[in-house]
Amino acid sequence: MSYQHAQDNWFSAILIGLIALAVLVNIWRARRGKELYIRRIPGLDAIDEAIGRSTELGRPVTMIPGMTDFGVVAVQALTIFKYITKQIARFATPMRLLSGNPTVFAVAQEAIYDAYNEAGRPDLYDADSIRFLSDRQFAFASGVAGLIQRERVAASFMFGEFFAESLIFAETGNMVGAIQIAGTVSFTQVPFFVAACDYTIIGEEFYATSAYLSREPVLLGSLVGQDIAKLLFALTTIGGVIAASIAGTDAPIIKLLGQPGGWDAFWSSVLKGGGQ
Amino acid sequence: MHMLTNLMAQQTIWRLPEESRILFATLIVLGAFVLVLGLVPVLQTLPPRGRRAIIVTVTFLAGLFFAAEFFLPVDWTAVFPKDDPKRNFLTPAIQPAQNVLQIIGALALGLGTFGLVRLHLRNAVQRRPQWGYSIVLLVSFVVMAIFSVLNTLAEKGIVARDPLLQRGFSILFDYTLLQLDAAMFSLVAFYIFSAAYRAFRIRSVEASILMFTAMLVMIGVVPLGAYISPALPAIANWVLAYLNAPAQRAIEFGVGIGGLAMAIRLWLSLERGVT
Repeated sequence: MSYQHAQDNWFSAILIGLIALAVLVNIWRARRGKELYIRRIPGLDAIDEAIGRSTELGRPVTMIPGMTDFGVVAVQALTIFKYITKQIARFATPMRLLSGNPTVFAVAQEAIYDAYNEAGRPDLYDADSIRFLSDRQFAFASGVAGLIQRERVAASFMFGEFFAESLIFAETGNMVGAIQIAGTVSFTQVPFFVAACDYTIIGEEFYATSAYLSREPVLLGSLVGQDIAKLLFALTTIGGVIAASIAGTDAPIIKLLGQPGGWDAFWSSVLKGGGQ
Repeated sequence: MHMLTNLMAQQTIWRLPEESRILFATLIVLGAFVLVLGLVPVLQTLPPRGRRAIIVTVTFLAGLFFAAEFFLPVDWTAVFPKDDPKRNFLTPAIQPAQNVLQIIGALALGLGTFGLVRLHLRNAVQRRPQWGYSIVLLVSFVVMAIFSVLNTLAEKGIVARDPLLQRGFSILFDYTLLQLDAAMFSLVAFYIFSAAYRAFRIRSVEASILMFTAMLVMIGVVPLGAYISPALPAIANWVLAYLNAPAQRAIEFGVGIGGLAMAIRLWLSLERGVT
């Protein structure tokens, strides 16, 4: 089996290094006490409102990380769920965390237990409220839809990676009148969530969520680093467009930017004194 | 001991006769169990700071392995002429590392299944509300598991594939599970309709633009669009290629950068969310 390596395109590897540097430098700045601004994200402001409504109605809150494999997306989703659980613990609102991935389920148990502990209410922790339903996509979807219908949930939080099952969750929640907040990195599912949920957190806002909720310097600094990286990408894109317009798509500089082996082609042409 | 040394001298256990291979594999599995069972109490006795130091070190080294494998040059033929130019010295370890991750996933699956069965057993025994559903789940779980295991054993030639097994497996999986999956998937079509109805209701200028554009694209990508006007497919393609694709790529860039930043925070143990 062949794997991708930095040597396939050194330009991409350098970009990755620059992004990492931007993130780390800004984390360092934030840790030194630099004030960093973060814009308002309405969907996240609505989390407390949704929990409040669940508490008033005495109906459960569901948290769904989807079929997400254990990785950065799952960790981010569980970080958000941990924050939500801390809020829930203050009002003793019932909750259900429904997972379609066994590894995420195992970590979720620990994360939710920690959240209740940190909120000072370990007595409220119920291991049965964190459930692994199935790792089959539509068996998981039917399990979640059934639970939402049977328990008439008042608020539903969907954060993670979703596939075709996303609309089943969102529409079922809509049918029972739940306040729904969704955040996903799966851009193909964003239209479904926008259509069916009250608030949708799109793209990199998903990764900004933990910084927004916790205001931790490390996370805020990382967020500023991400913005700088996006600026870098925008400048690279503009530079690429200008270079391709002037020199054509076969020029070595364009191959360097966009094609595997482009770095070698670029340097060999430079060493030969320019030209192809 | 002599046998183990002998086995190790042959470098790979897969070249050994089957009896020795099974013995060696059993020893590895037992050794792993003893190591894990021994490590857990050792970790439990450590103070939180010591435990954290171990976790931070292991996380960093594991991340460093994958980062080093990606960044190290692969072509070392100038130094080692017989070396494979498509991999560096860490590349062969990638597959075993992924196998370890799969094993951890399989262990977690056991944990998840145990939790599910425990919950529904309690529901059934304590006659909690809607306990009938739990009975259905438990019976389905046991029957499915029996037929699935027997079918796998039959595929490997360990048990005979008799007509009852073949028919039972077919009824459970082909005529029940797959059909239920298909039924759930088909529900998406109806949900799209109801969600689209709400999304496309003309309530604001933005909703009107959204509805008009969606109508153009939907008509443009079906044969009816080309029948009405040849311009409609061209307009639909233009909207998809020049408006939709750039917006999606921008979102993808953001997601990619966000994921990378998160990975760096996890690697360096700067993330305090669930870790």
